[in-house]
Order: sequence, then C-alpha cells, then structure tokens
Amino acid sequence: MIEVDRLCKRFGPVSAVDGLSFTVRPGHVTGFLGPNGAGKTTTMRLILGLYTPTSGTSLVNGHRYRELVRPLHQVGALLDATAVHPGRTAHRHLLSIAQSNGIGRRRVTEVLQLTGLDTVARRRAGGFSLGMKQRLGIATALLGDPPVLIFDEPAGGLDAEGIQWIRQLFKTLAAEGRTVFVSSHLMSEMALTADRLIIIGRGRLLTDTPTEQFIESSTRADVLVRSPRAGDLAGLLTASGGGVVPDADGGLAVTGLDAPAIGDLAAEHGIAVHELVPRHASLEQAYLDITRDSVEYRAAHPEQGQEI
Amino acid sequence: MTTMDIRPTEAAVPSAAVRARDVLTSEWTKLRSVRSTYWTLLVAIVTTVGLSAIVAVAFATPPPDHRPPIDPLLPSFASLEYAVLAVGVLGVLTFTSEHTTGLIRTTFTAVPRRRAVLAAKAVVAGTVTLVVGELVSFASFLLAQAILSGNHLGVSLSHPGVPGAVLADGILLSVCTLMGLGLGAIIRHTAAAVAVLAGLIYLSAILGLLPAPWNDRIGRFTLFYAAQQVVALHPRANLFSPALSMLVLIAWPAAALLGAAVLITRRDT
Repeated sequence: MIEVDRLCKRFGPVSAVDGLSFTVRPGHVTGFLGPNGAGKTTTMRLILGLYTPTSGTSLVNGHRYRELVRPLHQVGALLDATAVHPGRTAHRHLLSIAQSNGIGRRRVTEVLQLTGLDTVARRRAGGFSLGMKQRLGIATALLGDPPVLIFDEPAGGLDAEGIQWIRQLFKTLAAEGRTVFVSSHLMSEMALTADRLIIIGRGRLLTDTPTEQFIESSTRADVLVRSPRAGDLAGLLTASGGGVVPDADGGLAVTGLDAPAIGDLAAEHGIAVHELVPRHASLEQAYLDITRDSVEYRAAHPEQGQEI
Repeated sequence: MTTMDIRPTEAAVPSAAVRARDVLTSEWTKLRSVRSTYWTLLVAIVTTVGLSAIVAVAFATPPPDHRPPIDPLLPSFASLEYAVLAVGVLGVLTFTSEHTTGLIRTTFTAVPRRRAVLAAKAVVAGTVTLVVGELVSFASFLLAQAILSGNHLGVSLSHPGVPGAVLADGILLSVCTLMGLGLGAIIRHTAAAVAVLAGLIYLSAILGLLPAPWNDRIGRFTLFYAAQQVVALHPRANLFSPALSMLVLIAWPAAALLGAAVLITRRDT
C-alpha cells in the first residue's frame, strides 16, 4: 500500500509535484501515467525518501520511507536501470545491495535465475545491453521479496519477448497480493499491463480510475454504417433520434443508436447494410485528450509570451 | 481478501550493531568488486616503494664536498607524494562513482540512514588504506635503509623514535583517502572533487613559497607540513609540535567527513 497525501515538491520556482494525493492498493498493477515532465519520477523519488517533500506526506505500508528498517523487505524499486557500476559484475552488484539489508547469497542466486541473468551473473554490468540492465534492476527490486514494488519506466530497452515477460511478471506479482506501481509515458503499454490508472500532468492528479472505466468514460463511441442507400438510411436514423455525420468514403458515423438498433431499423425498411462497425476512440486518443493541457514539452509550439 | 497475503518478511527488528555490520559488509563488497580499487592501491604501493629506493640512492651517493645532515626517514616520506593522490582519488571515487552512475539512489533506497552509508564507506576505505599505508611505509623504510646503510647513513628500526615515525608515516594515506571520501560526498563530481583534493594536498608546496615567516606560520596548517612534523626524527621548531601536527592531520579528513555528514541527509538525491 502506498499512500500519497497532498504531496508537493518545488525545485526553485518550478512545482514538479503540486498537491498530489492518491492511494496505490495491493493486488493490482497500478499504472502511473503522464507526459514527460509530469512529475512521475519526482513522485517516485519522494515516495522512496530520496527527495524531501516541500509539503505533504507519502507512506509505504503506513510508514515514512526513511523510517523503514531494512527497507528492501518492504519496498523494491527500479528507478534507473543504467544505475550500475560498469565494472562490477551482476552478482557482486546484487550481493552488495542484498548484504546492506541482511539478505543472503541464496536469494541473490534466486533473483538472478528469476530474471534469467544466471548465465551472465559473473560478467561486468558495463557490457550489458539496456534490456539486461532492466532485468538486473528488476532483480534488485525483488531481492527482499517485498510486498510493494515500484518501477519507473521498466519496459524501456526490452525487446518484445522481454516486454511480454515483464507484463506477466507484474500480473503475477499483483496476483500474489503485492502492490505493483509502474510508471510509463505510453498509454498503449499500460493498457495491457495495468488494471488501475493514475494519470498526472504538471504535478497534479488528472485521473485515478480502473483502466476499463477510463476507457469507457473517455472514448466517444459511434457506429460506422455503410449502405448502398446511405441517403435513405440517414433520414431514417435521424428520424429515430440518431445523430448522423458523413464519414470518409460515403460511410455514416452514427451516434445515439447502437449497432443492433441501426441494423434492425435498416432491415425493417429493406435497406441493405454492407458494414456496421461499433467504434471506440483509441485509448491513446483518450490519454492524449486528458493530458493535452498539461504537456510540459511540446514540439514546435512554444507557449505564448515565451522567448525563443 | 488476497491483499493481505504478502507481508514484509521481518522476523524481528535487527539491532543497531547488526544493521551497522550489514552496511559495512555491503560497502566492503563494493570496494572489492571494482578494478579502480586495485589500480589506485597498486599505484600507491609501486610509486612509494620505487621512489623511496630512488631517493635513497640519490642520498647515498658520495657527497661532492659537504652536505647537510638528512633525516633518515625522508626517503620513504617524500615518496608518498604520488600515493596520497592515488588513494585520495580512491576515496573520492567511493562516493562519486555512485553519483555519476546513479547507483547512489539504490544505495540510499536500501539504506535510508545515509550517515550509516558514509560511516561504512569511511571505515572500509580508511581501514584498507591504513593497512596498505603501513605496509608501504615499513617496506619503503626498510628498502631505503638497506640502501643508505651501505654508506653508513641508515638508521635501524630499533633506533629510538623510528618505529613511531614509520607508523605515523603510514597513516598519511588513510588521511588522504578519508579527505577524498568526504570531498566526494560533498562535491559529488569526480573531476571537481579530485581537483579540490589535489589543491588541498599540495597546498603546502604553494604556501612554502611565501616569504618567511609566513611560509611556516600558514604552512604548518597544511597536510604535508603536519605530516612532516609527525614523521621527522628531529621536528622543526618553527612549525607545530608533533602532537599538534597530528591534530592538524586528523582535522583535515574530519572536517571533510563532517561537512559530508551534514550535507548528505539534507540534499535531494
């Protein structure tokens, strides 16, 4: 369980995190989304006691992070996969971190096997690909077998197989009753991984909702209809209370009536229907819509009054 | 509810002693598992012992006419000049390598009591360089004396004051390592920390150029003058006494480590 309450972090004049409150519950994979610069990494560093908040609190399992004894048993984190000494072997890297929390060598071997790094354990981490470093970072997070796991952009650098593996891993960890908190700036990735979404922009909470509900509530549903007698059908649909807008290639975009109702109406009047497709705006679109006003860095559209 | 299945695996809260041992073990593993440790120590050993021999040979060659009496411990002391920088860099890297890679975040996440990390790094790096320093000090003393004794200029280890002087000589490496470690924690960038460290170590050479009596009056606060007084069989009267010089020698790394201890818990990482 992670509880963030009215958390604020200012860096000089910039509010990186601005009154953020949310709870990340056990048993779920919670996606932490936002455009670049939204404050995801800052929030995670605040939760892990690396930054001192300007105001507000964050608790992990009911405790402030800095008060935790042997914290790796409570929280595992992957913040930056490249944060390894290039000259140290994967095994020694993990061992040194394990030892600081009284974790034995057997567990080091276990997490190396779990992440598929056992064959390269004696190689220096400097020679690892980004994907291998991600696995090493995940191995580090799992060392203490913690009930809370925090991952900052864990999928970067992983190949398709690696992404599949990491998704499955997160789901397994959540199914075991752990709290899994994963940040990403890619909605498409989170849609497949997370069952809850916390979306922030400019350090503020935009949405905190189950993934399903987010998709349902924020997509414009319509039905695409194609018919050789499109004109006649459009009249009937309008008369039945539907909204009709011409779509590309002579199709009709219908709102207010669902696909069965449209099909029935056409059949009643003997009108052939060639295509009848319920459509949802993509998840990516919904995400873009909600974060549009809070994008920190936007290409080629400088803010008004900003000097170039 | 499945949500309560996973609980922290904490049997009992470990004692402070156990936690301190954990962090020490961790830092010991870190120090042993990178090559820079071995390189810097190798440089410290080879340059010191090698230079001692060269300086001793220079002293041992027959004088053209008349020469001032030399301190028999000078060869091994003078040869530490490169070693102090090498082990100072080792101290700096102990912290800055974690900052430049970002590993420090993992370290501070694993051990949120940051001063425990600072203390463990200091104990581990300080002990290793103390042991190496003493070995190097005795080895270069014995080698230099073997060369000097051929010309009847040598002193033996049993000579009054000599064992203490050789022991004192050996702590200079540890002093510089701890100073580097403190500076590394404060400055957090390798190049900048090494530059400051080198400046502080070699300050005595610059201050030595000041007009008398200011060269000694200010110079006696520097590491090298203090170390020289501690090591000398015949301390100079216009510098601090050996006891006070020892305090100066300890004050430098202590100040750096204290500064680090104050800053390390206040800063965002």
